[in-house]
Amino acid sequence: MALAWAAAALRAAVGGGVRGAARPRWAQDLPRFCSTQETPKDPPPAPSPYQERPWEYLESEEYRATYGDKPVWHGYRRNHKGSVPPQRARKACLRRGKPVGNPCPICRDRNLLVDFRNVKLLDQFICPHSGVIFHPIHTGICLKQHKRLSQAIAQAQDHGLLWLRVPFVPVPEEDFSNQHAAVGKTPPAPALREPGRAWYPWYEWQQPPAAEVARMRRLYRGFLKENYPDNPPSPSGK
Amino acid sequence: MAALGSRGSAALPSRLRALWALPARRALAADAGAAEGKAAPPKPAFTDEAVQTLLYKMTGLDLRKVFRPVKKDLKPPHYKLMTEAQLEEATRKAIEEAKTKLIMPPVLNEREPIDDVLAEDKVLEGTETAKYVFTDLSYSIPHRERFIVVREPNGVLRKATWEERDRMIQIFFPKEGRKVIPPTLFKDENLGTVFQQDRHEDVLNMCIAQFEPDSPDYIRVHHRTYEDIEKHAKYDLLRSTRHFGGMVWYLVSRKKTDGLLIDMINRDLLEDATSLITLYHMLYPECQSAKEAKEGKLQGVDLIKVFVKTESQREGYIQLALQAYEEAMATSSAS
Repeated sequence: MALAWAAAALRAAVGGGVRGAARPRWAQDLPRFCSTQETPKDPPPAPSPYQERPWEYLESEEYRATYGDKPVWHGYRRNHKGSVPPQRARKACLRRGKPVGNPCPICRDRNLLVDFRNVKLLDQFICPHSGVIFHPIHTGICLKQHKRLSQAIAQAQDHGLLWLRVPFVPVPEEDFSNQHAAVGKTPPAPALREPGRAWYPWYEWQQPPAAEVARMRRLYRGFLKENYPDNPPSPSGK
Repeated sequence: MAALGSRGSAALPSRLRALWALPARRALAADAGAAEGKAAPPKPAFTDEAVQTLLYKMTGLDLRKVFRPVKKDLKPPHYKLMTEAQLEEATRKAIEEAKTKLIMPPVLNEREPIDDVLAEDKVLEGTETAKYVFTDLSYSIPHRERFIVVREPNGVLRKATWEERDRMIQIFFPKEGRKVIPPTLFKDENLGTVFQQDRHEDVLNMCIAQFEPDSPDYIRVHHRTYEDIEKHAKYDLLRSTRHFGGMVWYLVSRKKTDGLLIDMINRDLLEDATSLITLYHMLYPECQSAKEAKEGKLQGVDLIKVFVKTESQREGYIQLALQAYEEAMATSSAS
């Protein structure tokens, strides 16, 4: 017995080498992964054939066979402990790229695409009596899909594809004659009426009085250049 | 219910009529009167009392349609036990409320674009990269008297255009049912889908909520809707709504009354048909049928027959409809 114990310790030491204990015998031949190696992932799921025209799926035989006349969320149940289901919808059905067990009615069918154009799918999530979007707890969809669905419904209503409640706005009681200066014509300022005239007088060169010019010349007479002209050259562009 | 389908006097209150009367029209009438000397009758406008009376009569008042149930938050139903007198009182109140709901929105010409420059400060050129919009936010002034000006990056100070004005006023003083950026369903390509669902009334209500009555978008959407209704003869969709008057005015101004006339005769609304023809004569008093009607003082079916002979394009259809109506009247009176 002591011999067997010693033999096992020797095998472990030899098998493990410098790093430590060897792997069990059943795992000797399996590939060993470390963080620098890539784990083999499952191939990504094939894209749905109804990617370009998602509304065609809801007319197809496949859909009819799967769902019949009922809405897509009919019969879906969350799996939970206890008698009371959780009063919060799931955040998302794809956690780190992997689907959860029992995904929501939209995530479990890759052909059901939330788009503002497939009105039939969007209609299934709107109450036919009050026109309100169902709560995600009622239909069972995850919060990510619920957000995308709400945005698609708002976009469809904006495009006129879905019914939208129009509030009754009474006829405006305003004066539509547009005579007030704020919205009517005002005569242009004098500077704008003549095309050559500038807005401020100082936009154009104003010749200073001769006395001023003479005074300045007298003040700086030791420093002026020989050929300093009386009128400076006109600025370019004016 | 005795009061269903009752018609009363013109629904347009006088204060609205006074507000919408454009000064240009009054000036035109004054000029015409002064220049010509003789009393040439001015062209009737949408806001005239006679026109409004006729349009209101044609619109009808179907309480079941005006107060039809709409999709809203669910509440348990309300039951009331009433005597005959109380029921009549309630019906009378309902008719009053329906009349306020049937006030017709104004029909105006397209507004003139605003392009006034207030100042040109070339000193500011190159200082900024974006436009600045200055809005007067005083609370108590009407929106049409609010000054909104734009300073461009090149220094020009100009008044804001109508689109900029509407956007700014909606941002600072939001109105119910109006969005800052108009919904895409008002674009021409998307209106077709909505018309296929027979939602003309919804489109027009949304249009009134979203646009000003003299904006080009409002006028374009209304005209598109009326054209579509006239093309598919869906006149009944707008009956008993506030849009019927505007539609009739549009059709009569463009002499496209045949479809509407056929529809009225088919539904046994002879009074409406005669009102329509009277309105046509008011707008075009020089036409053949107007003169004949004035000479002979025709009423009812005779008026329609004269109109059909002289003015209509689809004579055959209208004659058929009239024949069917007369046969139905004969059989009902015989039995």
